[in-house]
Amino acid sequence: MSAPLLTLEGVGKDYAKVESRGGQLRLVWDLLRGNGAAHVFRALDNVGFTLQRGQSLGIVGENGAGKSTLLKIVAGVIAPTRGRVQVNGRVGALLELGSGFHPDYTGLANIELSAALLGLSPREIASKREEIVAFADIGDHINDPIKHYSSGMVVRLGFAVATALRPDILITDEVLAVGDESFQKKCIAWMEEYLADGGTLLLCSHSMYHIQKLCRHALWLRDGRVVREGAAMEVTQAYLAFHEEKSAQARQPISAAVAHAAGVYAVQSLTINPEGSMSQGETLHVRGEIYSPDGRAPVVLLGIVRADGTPVYGVASDMEGVSLHQLSVDRFAFELTFSDLALLPGKYVVRAHAMDPEGVRLFDNVERAIVVSGASREMGFVRLPHTWHDRT
Amino acid sequence: MTLQSTSAGGVVPTPSASVRDRALFINFFRRELNTRYLGSVSGFAWAFVHPLVLLVVYHFVFTTIFRTSGFGGQSFLAFVAVALWPWLAAQEGIQRAATSLAGYAGLIRKVAFPHELVVYASVAATLTLQLAGYLVVLLALVIFGEPIHLEGLLLALPLWGVMAIGIIGVAMFFAALQVFVRDVEHVLMPALMILMYLTPILYPLTLVPEVMRPWVAINPFSWIVGRLRDALLEGKLALEWGDAIAVVVALAIFFAGRWVFRRLSPHFEDFV
Repeated sequence: MSAPLLTLEGVGKDYAKVESRGGQLRLVWDLLRGNGAAHVFRALDNVGFTLQRGQSLGIVGENGAGKSTLLKIVAGVIAPTRGRVQVNGRVGALLELGSGFHPDYTGLANIELSAALLGLSPREIASKREEIVAFADIGDHINDPIKHYSSGMVVRLGFAVATALRPDILITDEVLAVGDESFQKKCIAWMEEYLADGGTLLLCSHSMYHIQKLCRHALWLRDGRVVREGAAMEVTQAYLAFHEEKSAQARQPISAAVAHAAGVYAVQSLTINPEGSMSQGETLHVRGEIYSPDGRAPVVLLGIVRADGTPVYGVASDMEGVSLHQLSVDRFAFELTFSDLALLPGKYVVRAHAMDPEGVRLFDNVERAIVVSGASREMGFVRLPHTWHDRT
Repeated sequence: MTLQSTSAGGVVPTPSASVRDRALFINFFRRELNTRYLGSVSGFAWAFVHPLVLLVVYHFVFTTIFRTSGFGGQSFLAFVAVALWPWLAAQEGIQRAATSLAGYAGLIRKVAFPHELVVYASVAATLTLQLAGYLVVLLALVIFGEPIHLEGLLLALPLWGVMAIGIIGVAMFFAALQVFVRDVEHVLMPALMILMYLTPILYPLTLVPEVMRPWVAINPFSWIVGRLRDALLEGKLALEWGDAIAVVVALAIFFAGRWVFRRLSPHFEDFV
């Protein structure tokens, strides 16, 4: 078996876009003449990889990265606009929920439809039917129309059908997320056995756990291009690191230019002192600046939350009748002190939100992390002032 | 994209495309038949009751209200019935097939299969039911003493075959277009209605003014209607040169429709 099971070379896919009323007619005309569509969205660009028998490949990427398009091309549902796809074997595809099922048909009738789609004769499918029904394990519902099924039941049946035929390549797109815990385990057990028997898996999932568990290789797609390809562990970690960085960026102040363009109130800076870590009972200074698009004094909402997001305390400047100090036409400063901070040891986040002068609309969100250290064994978030009344 | 079958690893041998397509066509065909009468108590009986009821209505309208005596000694009821059912079959076949792809949207988006099977199955289901109705109507006419030559079916059935080839071509054209331009179904209904009155179904070609006659005769359906009347009303079974031309025209329509369909079908997935 020297020929790879699956080869993709420079595969690209453009989707035609209809941008105006009557644009459809123009599109049909272009397609009939054999020209490509005039306006396209490039869903995939220059994607290439090979898959040997027994290898398994996980595909990761954000929504809209082109994962489903790629799987559809491998499954033969759509033809690539550019490049070459070669498959040497039977492909079993499980693309999204209940793919290929007819809602008015019973489970059994749908098994027959799927079998016909895969090219099995009624006799062949009859021999597989019991196996499928047993694996799906949905009881008497097998005689009900699919439209009365829960999404979990649809996935069970879909998985049972796709797997009963032991395809050379099994393509699954995010289907494991729907079934319940025990069915997920059953599917994963099936896939592991399938892989151990030399089966090949093309798995698309947002669960890095599934990718790491089932795939040895992974491919990271972003905006239709391959960002990284390699060992599953390495690619998934790079992907996760990218996401952490991205969500961290979101919490940095937005620039004055952006705030100006958007006409929003925005926190320009947030400084805490001490920075990063402090001892229990120390004093915490917080100060910062807020951009105001219309020169009116904004309101600042300050809050302290636990690292997991549980709110501890929050206060807005207008609640206490404080007005912000005007630095320039559109910049306002605030400063306050939490003396003898009562937070118990742990990880916290100081948050500042800019609000409009009416204190109604809440704009951005800037955060600073702080670790409170101490040897206290008290429980909870804060020390409440208290007195023990000793009887002695 | 090339698909090759390998025997290694597969428990079930990879089927050839034609075996698969046949199984799929049969499945779609059954599905089309079932969904038309899904939920109705008497099921397929409607396929036979409906044409008979229509026949009674036409009988009443044409012999009692309009008191038409027929043309050239023919019974008007037989004259209309012989042509009207094939027309209804063509009209329904085209209309249903034009919107048939939407019913298979889930499959088209998720599964690789030849999309034209949907149109074939839709047209085949319509024509099967309409042909059954046609035979019932002819039989009823014979029983009621109308002058029908049943041996004319020897020519009438092949005529239905020729008609089917043309209908599939037209249906494929509109079905493919409908995916991109939703107006097709709305334009199709009045257009077919107008075409019905421009076809000598309710009147003979001889009543059409001389100048307009070539324009009416150029309509392929006028030819079908004429040949059906030759066969079933007069018992003329001889083949003509025109029949060969008709077969060529039907095949041309079929291949033109299929060419358009195949050009557009790779893009169905995104628009259906």
